[in-house]
Amino acid sequence: MIFSSTKQDWFGNVRGDILAGIVVALALIPEAIAFSIIAGVDPKVGLYASFCIATIVAFTGGRPGMISAATGAMALLMVTLVKEHGLEYLLAVTLLTGLIQVFAGYIKLGSLMRFVSRSVVTGFVNALAILIFIAQLPELTNVTWHVYAMTVGGLGVIYLFPYIPVIGKKIPSPLVCIVVLTVLSQVMGLDIRTVGDMGELPDALPIFLWPDVPLTLETLWIILPYAIGLSVVGLLESMMTATIVDDLTDTKSDRNRECKAQGLANIGAGLMGGMAGCAMIGQSIINIKSGGQGRLSSLAAGVFLLIMVVFLGDWLKQIPMAALVAVMIMVAIGTFSWSSIKDIKSHPLSTNIVMIATVITVVGTHNLAIGVFVGVLLSALFFANKISRFMVVKNTKVGKKAPTYQVTGQIFFASANKFIDAFDFKDVTSKVTIDLSHAHFWDISAVGALDKVVIKFRREGADVNIIGMSEATATVIDKFAIHNDPAAVEKMMAGH
Amino acid sequence: MNKIIACIDGSALAKAVCETAIWASNRLSNGILFLHTIEKQQQHGADDLTGSIGLGARSALLNKMAELDEQRGKIEIQLGNDMLDAAVNRANSAGLTDIEHKQQHGDFVDTLVALEADARLMVVGRSGDGHQGDFKALGYHIETLIRQVHTSIIIAPKDFTEPTNFMLAYDGRETADKVVQRIIQGGLLKGLTCHLVTIKNSEDAHKEKFEQAKELLKQEGFKVISSYIEGDISSSLMNYKKEHDIQLVAMGAFSHSKVRSFFLGSNTMRMIENCRVPLIVLR
Repeated sequence: MIFSSTKQDWFGNVRGDILAGIVVALALIPEAIAFSIIAGVDPKVGLYASFCIATIVAFTGGRPGMISAATGAMALLMVTLVKEHGLEYLLAVTLLTGLIQVFAGYIKLGSLMRFVSRSVVTGFVNALAILIFIAQLPELTNVTWHVYAMTVGGLGVIYLFPYIPVIGKKIPSPLVCIVVLTVLSQVMGLDIRTVGDMGELPDALPIFLWPDVPLTLETLWIILPYAIGLSVVGLLESMMTATIVDDLTDTKSDRNRECKAQGLANIGAGLMGGMAGCAMIGQSIINIKSGGQGRLSSLAAGVFLLIMVVFLGDWLKQIPMAALVAVMIMVAIGTFSWSSIKDIKSHPLSTNIVMIATVITVVGTHNLAIGVFVGVLLSALFFANKISRFMVVKNTKVGKKAPTYQVTGQIFFASANKFIDAFDFKDVTSKVTIDLSHAHFWDISAVGALDKVVIKFRREGADVNIIGMSEATATVIDKFAIHNDPAAVEKMMAGH
Repeated sequence: MNKIIACIDGSALAKAVCETAIWASNRLSNGILFLHTIEKQQQHGADDLTGSIGLGARSALLNKMAELDEQRGKIEIQLGNDMLDAAVNRANSAGLTDIEHKQQHGDFVDTLVALEADARLMVVGRSGDGHQGDFKALGYHIETLIRQVHTSIIIAPKDFTEPTNFMLAYDGRETADKVVQRIIQGGLLKGLTCHLVTIKNSEDAHKEKFEQAKELLKQEGFKVISSYIEGDISSSLMNYKKEHDIQLVAMGAFSHSKVRSFFLGSNTMRMIENCRVPLIVLR
């Protein structure tokens, strides 16, 4: 059930969850503002979205302890829509995205994640980090040296403050960075860009509103492509984050429930004037690191975010953009998988190509969905190629006797040609035996290749005798019931 | 359906659980399986509120948490082994021979559900080691356990004394008739004095069924003391229990859904919460 949860989920870890929730809320504010700016909307759109999504997912999510809010990956997909059609269409897209994601949850698309290999996930994470970093560059071009100095100083505070004894570990350093830089710019009266310059901040609680778009087919055609892209990216990032949280906490998540939860959260965000969002890798890590593990941590993050934003709105306006940039660079650095660069040396070439292709595609298209698609496609091709090499045709002809071909291994579309080429049609003989009892025919291409071989031999005037045909072709049948029965699988794969 | 599963943990109730299981094992002549589950700790002791993530934050965090879990796990396994050894020794010296023990990772209720097919009876303490010393407390697992498991469960309080009588609250419902059937078939309570209690409400049908149940138990050789009381269900039962020095309470499981119990409360839960003697939920 979408709302079912145990007492343990909520109250198993109250102190840790609430503290972590506050830390996460503090880290969510700069991100929500920064991502709104990326998408080209007022900061309040991202802030309301973060509140709605974090709160709704706390109740409905399939992965307690994971933080969802407005994200950069999603914001990047909205840019052109906002530019061409405006905010109301963005809200409509958010709503539709939610509906698609709920549907995806019901048809159990979450389990499709098994096709996304580890190197694609690494590529995705790295690409995401690069995109977040690139998105900060406009704030760092055509500005005075003050901005650079402040950004560097901010990063220094973020990374060095935790080393201060006692208080270093008790106060979130990104908060210290924001406060210090804000005070500094005020005291020195610097004329640099602040959050207030970027658009409207929330001054009240979010209210229910239906997106003001004409309910026509034309609208649907405008928003549908965006909604599909956002649904895919949102679910992908959420599923990947869920995997990371699973690993960290050594517990399991309910992926299909998480899909539905993301959908409901986006529906909620769309109706409350927020933009679409999804799970966040960086924030979820911060949450776990701060001791948050239960549903309460996500709820606390959402509620504290709203309280801080609504009541501290006037203060938020004063925050210089340089401080946000510093925080976002930290998020980018923390999200990037640095070990993947070290691993390039030891990993096989195909794995590296998949990872790098994913990164390049994403950075080129600014669309994580396309990048993942390319990555999955490449890894499937590499895998098919690798398996196709596990096929040997051995001619056991002794002296003048009729040749017997012993076929071992996997025959499918990728190895079918190699299979045909392995036979010696030039050798004049009146009888040929093909022993297939150690081979597996996986698809129609394989069956077609065998037909071709038989016909070719017949044309050369040889009688063909095939042994073990029924065992070899048992795998062609697309009955998953057989594949799921361990005994049947063992019988079918005998000889390996 | 041939084992008595006794759930041992570090709480002060482990001894009582052990003794209850030995008593049941002697009466039913079934073997005992002592079970210790190691549950995942929620709190990870991660108190790093810096909110910053630097190079390799994810793998560093994973290593740190895995290390904590590893240390905790090793200690828990050792502790569990000691507890199981103590329980096995106790059962040995009580003259039992068919004794097994098992340690399992995972949620307590899930583990019991998985072992259910092999269980004749389960014995659990009324609260775990999280409630050290507080004997009013009821473990948060108990309700979930009763709802998810379809085997009879004895919920043991702090001290165990061999019961000579038991109380059965009879409400005329189908579940109550089933409980009567189970008592007759089961053999665990054979020879004990049965206090058959019905809390009166206006319907006369109850009276008739009540007499039937009484006759049935008498035929099967139980010494039956029956009472027909007026008043609030749980407080009347509690009073009766006190007055007649009841040493074991037998009852059926929840007759209502979790949602209904949430709003209206449940007599089953009220009984379990206030019971200071062993309580058996019959299935």
